[in-house]
Amino acid sequence: MPRFRIIKRQERLGWRSCFIFLAAILLSLLFSGVMLALRGTPPLEGILILFKGAFGSRWAIEDSLIKAIPIFLCSLGVAMAFRLQIWNIGAEGQFALGAIGATWMALSFPELPQLVLLPLMVGMACVAGGCWGLIPAILRQRLGTNEIIVTLMMNYIAILLLDYLVYGVWKDPTSFGFPMTAEFVPQAIVGKIGSSGVNWGILHCLLLGILFWVFVTFTRTGFELRASGDSVRAARYAGIPYSGLVVLVMVISGALAGWAGFLEASATINRLQPSIMVGYGYTAIVVAWLARLHPLNIAVTSLLLAGLRVGVENLQLDLQVPAAFGGILEGLILMTVLAGGFFVHYRIVSVRQP
Amino acid sequence: MTAQVPVIRLEEISKAFGEVQANSNITLDIHQGRVLALVGENGAGKSTLMSILAGQLQPDSGTIRLKGAPVAFSNTDKAIASGIGMVYQHFKLVDAMTVAENVFLGKSDGLWLRHGAMNREVAELARSYGMSVRPEAVVGELSMGERQQVEILKLLHRRSSILIFDEPTAVLTPRESEELFATIRRMIEQGKAIVFISHKLEEVRALADDIAILKRGQIIDQLEAAQVTSSADLARRMVGRAVLLEVERPPVEPRQVVLKVSNLRAQGLEQADFELRQGEVLGIVGVAGNGQKPLVETICGLSPPREGHIRILGQEWKRFFSRQAWEQTLSYIPEDRQGLATCQGLSLLDNFLLTTRGGFVRGPWLQRRQAGIKADGLIRDFDIRPPDPEALAWQLSGGNLQKMVLAREFYRKPRLIVAEQPTQGLDIAAAEDVWNLLMKAREQAGILLVTGDLSEALALSDRIGVMYDGTLVSTFSRDDQEQVERIPQMMAGLKDS
Repeated sequence: MPRFRIIKRQERLGWRSCFIFLAAILLSLLFSGVMLALRGTPPLEGILILFKGAFGSRWAIEDSLIKAIPIFLCSLGVAMAFRLQIWNIGAEGQFALGAIGATWMALSFPELPQLVLLPLMVGMACVAGGCWGLIPAILRQRLGTNEIIVTLMMNYIAILLLDYLVYGVWKDPTSFGFPMTAEFVPQAIVGKIGSSGVNWGILHCLLLGILFWVFVTFTRTGFELRASGDSVRAARYAGIPYSGLVVLVMVISGALAGWAGFLEASATINRLQPSIMVGYGYTAIVVAWLARLHPLNIAVTSLLLAGLRVGVENLQLDLQVPAAFGGILEGLILMTVLAGGFFVHYRIVSVRQP
Repeated sequence: MTAQVPVIRLEEISKAFGEVQANSNITLDIHQGRVLALVGENGAGKSTLMSILAGQLQPDSGTIRLKGAPVAFSNTDKAIASGIGMVYQHFKLVDAMTVAENVFLGKSDGLWLRHGAMNREVAELARSYGMSVRPEAVVGELSMGERQQVEILKLLHRRSSILIFDEPTAVLTPRESEELFATIRRMIEQGKAIVFISHKLEEVRALADDIAILKRGQIIDQLEAAQVTSSADLARRMVGRAVLLEVERPPVEPRQVVLKVSNLRAQGLEQADFELRQGEVLGIVGVAGNGQKPLVETICGLSPPREGHIRILGQEWKRFFSRQAWEQTLSYIPEDRQGLATCQGLSLLDNFLLTTRGGFVRGPWLQRRQAGIKADGLIRDFDIRPPDPEALAWQLSGGNLQKMVLAREFYRKPRLIVAEQPTQGLDIAAAEDVWNLLMKAREQAGILLVTGDLSEALALSDRIGVMYDGTLVSTFSRDDQEQVERIPQMMAGLKDS
């Protein structure tokens, strides 16, 4: 009788680990196919429509790219904190604060030229998002609070603050009572690239992604981050200013999510309204884990999960599948890929008993 | 050798980790009623071989025979069921539980714990093997020696007949070691088989019936203990060269004070007062847990002093640690190589950069290539294996990791060295290298050597300090014969004889 045994891999898998990743994705698609079949939707057709909806046409790809932009930036920020093993769950709130900061500038200085106004909006978005990251970092280092709880709770505060502003002081008097600010002046809007629907935000993503990679790979601080992420005790032994690093990564993390909030408000919605909060900050956490905190992987994974969001909208229209299906599929992918991570380090062999 | 069927026979066992052949074709017999000592350099494959026997690792090839019949220890439970028990260097006990509860852990099948019966049973067992530990004591409050007794009791209670000890005396005081040996001799009388891994050659000679010498994954010599004429003879067989037992200690004129500790108090430290000069080695001895660790951690900036002052290289403690240069300063060689001195998940190169990074920066950039060249050179000079700067720290054996830490810390040209058990777990040849390095570094630096090995302290130090109960009881010159002879009494807290 063949028996199975778990054996630790001696060599690292390297690029071959992408097969495990693909197998995990396939498995999650299989599960979701079963779920579709259970409610009477033809599974193959459903998944096909999902893919076509996400990447099947120029419009679909553009829409996926647009949604990938905020997810990518939030995820980059989250990944920065995760590298230090600081669990920032607050990208959603930092994103909201970024949108608020950018809107504040856009509404306060509508007469400024674009070259001044846009950087001002970016700056304020980063400051606001960064502050939202700074508070839990300081609480953690000074009072020993748990950053997971604090960042999570601050998400609710941020969203309520956003609601308060758009229902109150910033409400557009001409909006017939809808909770939204006035549309931004043209100088406050990040334009689209040529005739495409994709905005210049994608260029911001490229630059910030490269900066992120350069920072963590080639700088002294990037090295200190990696060492502290591996062992806090060893970091203290080596005289690495750990508390300072915690504050630094949380501020960078918040600033990147804030930047995403700026792009979403300026380029996609052109104003501030409650519907700007669609959970990009939480998807970003999933993306960061799936991508193992590497910027290039984060880009690819952001696009995939953005595509999933777009594809599910299609599925909803064509086959009347509930929107919650998208969230379930996202969760399934995360679970299967994380479980698949086991096979990166171990393998199962069958042994014949003598 | 004895003619009876060995209780365990390892046949042609091979095991590789990646490209490193940890064990190759090892054949070894373990007999009932005999002590087998396994000796060899760090990374020779002793721990791997024993982990295979304990079912923790699976051999790539070869068979294990239990009383002649082949068995597969595919997990630790199977090995335990066959009577194999291992006393690890790092104890696996629940600190918050009592001795008896630890012994019975995972064994009681009922819902209720019967403390009375458990305590009686454990007390009975302890007495029959001459152990002193009380069954109702909480493990967290026990000394290392007592904790080890609990580990042994656990094995005896599940009727293990083959007991493996991985460097059991490394954490024990001399007295505790004697007690352990007495226990082992009793176990031998009861017909149990003992495997004993050790670097201390005197111990091996005192205790072993058979000796197997491992080198680079192979058994290079197997003999009865009676055939060994002296420790030097055993050492020669081990390393293939005569071991210098006396460390050469050229006189160095002590110069300026590099460390001044006055009326220091800290968590777990009552009182310490001393000066250390450049060119001088101050050996701190004492039974483990008498304040050496708090003293070292406070001096090295890991925990703040509560009272008193520390001046390092002329600067107040706080000021010194607020802006630390990377070279010509304080080098700390901690006892905890895995948890403190290195990042286990990072490569050798990254671990080299851990404390030397200050020397490889230009602006914000880290110059990894230059660091890589230096690290390559150090790996060669210190014979660190595997010789690959990209190897991860956890893949290295304890001895090789320590060499890596030493290479790194000496590269920083320190002016004050705090070395905590620097040769613990190293074989005699590697330890000798460390001693010579320290002696050489002494020309530029003051060295605070904290060690549990009295002969090491005596061989290296210019002055000796004895710690007892959180207090630095006394410091005196190594040449002060009268005081040196009183060290054991001081370690035991006896004021005047």
